[in-house]
Amino acid sequence: MIESFFVWLEASALGAFVKDQAATFATIEAVHLMALAVLGGSVFLADLRLLNLVMTDVPSRTVNDNAHKFFKISLIVLLVTGFVMLSGVATKCYHNFYYWVKMAALAAGIIFAFGVRAPLLRGDHALLNPLTVKLVAIASISVWFLVAASGRWIGFSG
Amino acid sequence: MLNSLLVDFAEWLGATNWSVGLHESFYMFNWLETLHVLTLMLSLGMLFVIDARMLGWWLMEVPASKLADRLAKPMWIGFSIMIVTGVILYTAIPVRYTTSLWFRIKVILLFVAAVNAWTFHRHLNRSASTWDTDKIPPKRTRVAAMTSLCVWAVIVVCGRFIAYDWFDCGKEMSAFMNWATGCVAVSEAH
Repeated sequence: MIESFFVWLEASALGAFVKDQAATFATIEAVHLMALAVLGGSVFLADLRLLNLVMTDVPSRTVNDNAHKFFKISLIVLLVTGFVMLSGVATKCYHNFYYWVKMAALAAGIIFAFGVRAPLLRGDHALLNPLTVKLVAIASISVWFLVAASGRWIGFSG
Repeated sequence: MLNSLLVDFAEWLGATNWSVGLHESFYMFNWLETLHVLTLMLSLGMLFVIDARMLGWWLMEVPASKLADRLAKPMWIGFSIMIVTGVILYTAIPVRYTTSLWFRIKVILLFVAAVNAWTFHRHLNRSASTWDTDKIPPKRTRVAAMTSLCVWAVIVVCGRFIAYDWFDCGKEMSAFMNWATGCVAVSEAH
């Protein structure tokens, strides 16, 4: 079932468009990387603030709310460019171990960001247990690092 | 002349034990490259945060000079790891990188980005007190921030394109491209 979707995706018009020119895939890869930089910026900005490592003289809530906006925009760009890239190499990804590691990490990252981190930080940060806040920040940085690293390894094992 | 010097140096470097070992190792090279890409999240991430503030896109509650000052440290930690891993990656496959069109453009643009950052930093130190909390930062500031973002975007594109063999030495290329890639010096040496 899942495999047939990957086969269909690669044979689709989108898959054909991505595969037609090598530069198309490479350019989308570069945009994917740029969005990764923006995602990294918003994650580090917010989480290093939660860890009291940067901008300690600016309220944590202000930093976090600003960062969350660009986090969402960059995540959307990453998901769209990621899907377009996948369409060009779908059957290869289906058999690639790191692709599935990345998808699992990505799912964990999204659930964590919107299901745990965002609701927790919606209130007054001063009322939260400082240890919980720090663990949330470390988990957030770790999961996005894992997503990025496993993404890079897809290309090494093709 | 410059091409010969660069290629001669790369050929000498490429023959060293260090370079061969790094090139032949499977995991070491990949880990270094992964680290190089991961550090992009910190270095270019912080750069984006600062440039986006200079463009008036976000964090307007925080004075511009304060933001730039507070984030300079994590950004430079990121760029330091980026430079170190970048140089080590270069030593692994020096001839190919030296004769890569994209690598050459990338290095030139890194200088452009550095000069832009340096001149802007001086401008910020001199003038920030007059516009630090303005709703819309002055034009000079916005132009410098946009220049920085565009130059870095092209650097990322070039970095990614290095992996492709479109203009590798040995391919059919015009005399200009042979010169621009430095391949002209490789064929002379062999």
